[in-house]
Amino acid sequence: MAGSLSSPATQSPTGSAAGEDLRPTRPVLSWVLRLGGLLARRALLLAVLLATVFAAVELLPGDAANATSERGESATDLAQRRELLGLDRPVLTRFTDWMTGLPVGDLGTSARGESVADLLSRPFPNTLLLGGLALLTTLAVSLALGCWAALKPGGKADRAVSATATGVLALPEFVVAVALVLVFALWTDWLPAVTLTDADGSPASWQMLVLPVLALSIPQIGWNTRIVRAALADEAKAPHVETAVIDGLPRHRVLIHHLLPGATPTIAAGIATSTGMLLGGAVVVETIFNYPGIGSVLAGAVTDRDSPVVAGVVAVTGAVITGVLLLADLVRAWASGGRI
Amino acid sequence: MTVPERAVRHRPRQAVALRILPAFLLIALAVAGPWLAPHTIDTPVTAPYAEPGGGTPLGGDQLGRDVLTRLLAGGRELIATSLLVAVLVTGVAALLGAVGALRPAVGRIVERSADVLMLLPAVLGILLVALSWPGGGRFAVIAAAVVMGVPYAVRLVAGAAAPVAASGYVEASAVGGERLWHLVVREVLPNLRATLLALFGLRFVAAVYVVATAGFLQVGPQPPAADWALMIRENAGGIVLNPWAVLAPSIAIGLLAMSVNLAASALVPQTGRKAVTAL
Repeated sequence: MAGSLSSPATQSPTGSAAGEDLRPTRPVLSWVLRLGGLLARRALLLAVLLATVFAAVELLPGDAANATSERGESATDLAQRRELLGLDRPVLTRFTDWMTGLPVGDLGTSARGESVADLLSRPFPNTLLLGGLALLTTLAVSLALGCWAALKPGGKADRAVSATATGVLALPEFVVAVALVLVFALWTDWLPAVTLTDADGSPASWQMLVLPVLALSIPQIGWNTRIVRAALADEAKAPHVETAVIDGLPRHRVLIHHLLPGATPTIAAGIATSTGMLLGGAVVVETIFNYPGIGSVLAGAVTDRDSPVVAGVVAVTGAVITGVLLLADLVRAWASGGRI
Repeated sequence: MTVPERAVRHRPRQAVALRILPAFLLIALAVAGPWLAPHTIDTPVTAPYAEPGGGTPLGGDQLGRDVLTRLLAGGRELIATSLLVAVLVTGVAALLGAVGALRPAVGRIVERSADVLMLLPAVLGILLVALSWPGGGRFAVIAAAVVMGVPYAVRLVAGAAAPVAASGYVEASAVGGERLWHLVVREVLPNLRATLLALFGLRFVAAVYVVATAGFLQVGPQPPAADWALMIRENAGGIVLNPWAVLAPSIAIGLLAMSVNLAASALVPQTGRKAVTAL
């Protein structure tokens, strides 16, 4: 009986595996074409975002030369720096330059006249490491918790997991970080509260990554556990699951062989959506733990009112998120039998 | 994301009230806070990072100002800004979503812009707007939060509005020559009350997150303003000397986020798919 697997709170007959395409599998060529289409679509979305970012920086009042001006600076000095930064050229020229520079790794010039790409080249891999570890942690823990809750729908574990997940998902990362620092660094002295760096600018030891990764992933774990739980509950209503339960297969077998495969596309989409939150949160968490990532660059940009740097950071994070979303598309294609 | 009426189960009114109560009390306390404060927010009354004791139950902050006073004063603006953002996002999304359900061309544009904004973490979007618009201050944060929030919210409204827009009486009045505005305001939106209320709750949760994070990154309220997020940032250096200067505003923001979230999820009509509560 499916009733033993589906949560009592989820009785809607409408939920089905997201937009299941029932057409027969196409030949390889068509598959490649569709993959190309998928790539092109994601690339186009990214390009539109970048154009919007440039427009936002340009259209809002205030420019990089003004932002770094010091008191008592004359109008000629300002004009000179404007020329130096290329701000006197027509908007369209600068736009084409910025957009055509992006694919070859030229992210423009900061308000202080440094290359944004150089500014980000050392800290960005550190942020990717932090975000990647947080993404993996989120995936592992929310899968485990979601499955654990789904094994006994409506049971104690289910209710406890759901309540905790809902409780933490709205917490800002910096609040979680403060709590973690107090408990694990100051009161118990188990883990370091700040990150020290090696000569090459990366974190000196793995222990320094634990608290930042936890602070980042805890809210996202709350979020994704709910998604996993709901996707499993949806899947539990499918006829083949019902059959498996009636056949008397053990719960964990039904979970692994019958529920999870169908729920995979939804879970992948959820995790992919978390990437943006993780990278955004990383900026905040890094400032607390003094982690050598783009967060520290951004903190400096905030003080300097340096919008070209922020635009550069948005460009690279946008590219990373595009990549992860594309990956989720592929997982969905693979899980639904090669259809895109 | 349609919500068939038969799948919606209403909770007993009392249970809903019980889940809304904590958020309500906390917000009331934060609004009344500045009047309850024993000191002024910007006068040092004790040593920097002084431990709790004497006239300062939560000790002093980095300038020796009373932490309790600043805690009581620091929530009002955060909550007011978040409420404003939530109201604006819900209002704009309600109109756009209803129009989008009635006019598919508008709906597609909204859908595409949501796809684009998914590539921009909200925190970075707010930093971008706030830095490119140095004179914008609080308005820059509000404007950015609204722009970033609307596309997701429109999806939710458009999903709920689609079956209503396709229903017989709306089609009848459309054929009868009623104008778009009339259809949106008189025919579609009144039927989405439950969805809009739930959406407002969720947007308030998201707004608290975003406004607090902006404050922490110092693009919102500026010193010497008392603001919970700013207090955490300012006093982080003295966490060993007086942890309360950091812990108290953290607890305040945490409680606010959790209680508002509890209230919001009580407002959401219970349907089969609980996961679709897009922040």
